[in-house]
Amino acid sequence: MPDVAALTDELAASTSRRGFLARVSRMLALAAGAGAVSALVRPGEADAFHFCGHIYTTDSCPHPTGLPRVDAGGFPLRAADGHPVDDLGRAVNANGQPVDGNGRVMLDPDGRPLPSAPRTQVCQHGVAARLNRPTHIDGAWYRCCGGHIRKLIDCCAYTRQRINGDAALTGYCYAGRHVYCVMYYDTKIPC
Amino acid sequence: MLTVTLILVAFVAGVTGTWSPCGFSIIDTISAPRRRTTASCVAFAIGACAGGAVTFAFLARIGTAVRGTGGLHPAFTAPVIALAAAITEARNAAILPQIRRQVPEHWRRVLPLPVAVGLYGVLLGLGFTTFVLTFAFWALVGLTVLLATPLIGVAVGIAFGVGRALPVALVAPVAHLPVGRRIVDAMAQRPALVSVLRRAEAVGMVAIAVASFGVTAVGAATKVGAGTDPSTSGSVVVWTSPGGGIERDEGAATTAAVPPHAAVGGSMIAWRDGETVQVAQLSDLTEVFAVDVPGVDAIAVSDTWLVTRARVAGIDTLAVRALSSPDDVHTLATAPRASQLGRPALAGSELVYHVVSSAGSRIVAVDLTTSKSRVVRRSSSAIVTNPSVLGGTLVYDRQTDLAQVVEIGPLTTTGRDRVVYRTGAPAVHDVGHEPGYSHRTRTAQPRPAKWTLWTTALSTSRVYVTLLPRTGSARAAQLVSVSR
Repeated sequence: MPDVAALTDELAASTSRRGFLARVSRMLALAAGAGAVSALVRPGEADAFHFCGHIYTTDSCPHPTGLPRVDAGGFPLRAADGHPVDDLGRAVNANGQPVDGNGRVMLDPDGRPLPSAPRTQVCQHGVAARLNRPTHIDGAWYRCCGGHIRKLIDCCAYTRQRINGDAALTGYCYAGRHVYCVMYYDTKIPC
Repeated sequence: MLTVTLILVAFVAGVTGTWSPCGFSIIDTISAPRRRTTASCVAFAIGACAGGAVTFAFLARIGTAVRGTGGLHPAFTAPVIALAAAITEARNAAILPQIRRQVPEHWRRVLPLPVAVGLYGVLLGLGFTTFVLTFAFWALVGLTVLLATPLIGVAVGIAFGVGRALPVALVAPVAHLPVGRRIVDAMAQRPALVSVLRRAEAVGMVAIAVASFGVTAVGAATKVGAGTDPSTSGSVVVWTSPGGGIERDEGAATTAAVPPHAAVGGSMIAWRDGETVQVAQLSDLTEVFAVDVPGVDAIAVSDTWLVTRARVAGIDTLAVRALSSPDDVHTLATAPRASQLGRPALAGSELVYHVVSSAGSRIVAVDLTTSKSRVVRRSSSAIVTNPSVLGGTLVYDRQTDLAQVVEIGPLTTTGRDRVVYRTGAPAVHDVGHEPGYSHRTRTAQPRPAKWTLWTTALSTSRVYVTLLPRTGSARAAQLVSVSR
């Protein structure tokens, strides 16, 4: 039986995500049978996939509260409840003011609102600043997660290295860009 | 408690050093009936204290340099070091690493005795130059670096030096007498004496570990008391507690009552009472003048200027007036409704304040004699707030999603800032992966802080910072200070 892990690593470093998955599937089908293929490519079951729907090892984009959940505009949301957060990770209201667990504006000892922090787009601003080059959101893919449809988003840039520190893949990126890191957007559409 | 325990352990560690080859040698070298025994004992004590102070002050300076890079986390590491030392001391374990060196023997032959033993004292006080008899010494080295407070380093070093000198000073003058010979013989023949000292150090190390856990929330900071909005004038610090204004001299433990919402600067104190701002002499609260400032909610004062921040219809305005002509008011800055101006801080004619909006934050410095302003710090990702200034040095808060730090640096746009206080993230982070999925992610998981950094003040020796509870009422704010 061939060394499947070595083959997949080699392929991962040299091809696109979709092409990579297709080739891995074919090879594994030959090597270990169709059952093993379906087990390995099913979202959420492989060891390296750290949130539902993410089917490869590229790590999360830097996000103020951890899991890379964003809204439709790419701004950060708290993964646990979808509440908007600022760049410091504090829950904020529609005016960008930090709020407590009950949604009340947080005040200083003189009763003034605590200073607002910037709330910037995770990919287009945060990652771009980290890479010191423009970033793009190109294509995306949707999967069913937790009973709702989730949009899986690649943060793309002209980079050969992904956030993990190793070779970046093409993923859902266009025009020669590669995936630097990944995010997701939860819809309210049941599935 | 932590400092006191460190000093006690350092003293005992110094005493334990008497059981080293050098310790016995020094007793024998200066034992009576030689001439100038007293002078030799004094010289040895001075040398030992000086050597200890140099070593541990240097270690503390290393700590401040490393902490400036964000590389130290004493709240977590200090208890581990102290407990490890306690266990090894309690087990009477062999000392590793051991320094198998001794002081130069020939000095006693070629130098006057007090000079020679004075130099021996320096070498033994330095600690690193000769045999080490206790793990507590190595633990004190690590703890001093971690705490990164030069004053504590000097105190620990002197205590270590006193510990090294005291047994010599007590035994050497009588070592030639029968009682002295019995004492030295007991020291030489009863290793249990060393074991007792090492167990005492073990107990001390456990106490240090406990005390270190006790300061986890504020790292190496000293808790000043409940309250907010500190300001300083020389060694006088003033802040507002829930019970009213408090004035304290840094060199004294006692406090005095002053009006709440007060700020000091130079020889002046100012406070707000409703929409009235009172300016008075700091020494005796003799009123200089009072002015009405609608919406005033922050003030700063110096010997020549009064700066007020007022909020009217949701718009912040900073205004300045000379103490010599308080009716002549100049508007320094106005913030649009979506922005905020921070609390002003004055040192002489140098004013600093922050401007925060959803687009970013910046710290502005204004020379009030020329009205020339400049941005000295800015960020579009972190927020930089609550500056204070003294003698060309700036201190301010910097908050990111991963940490909150108080930084100190030059009041220019060039030069490096140094972290003097660090606490955790301003918000709770998740674990970076969803339940039931792979844990393999490099997403940072910083510990959330209990506090949010708030207003600062700067004296010649210390940095003061208000800590607001991250959750709950801001009235439970605490004031802490750290060494500059």
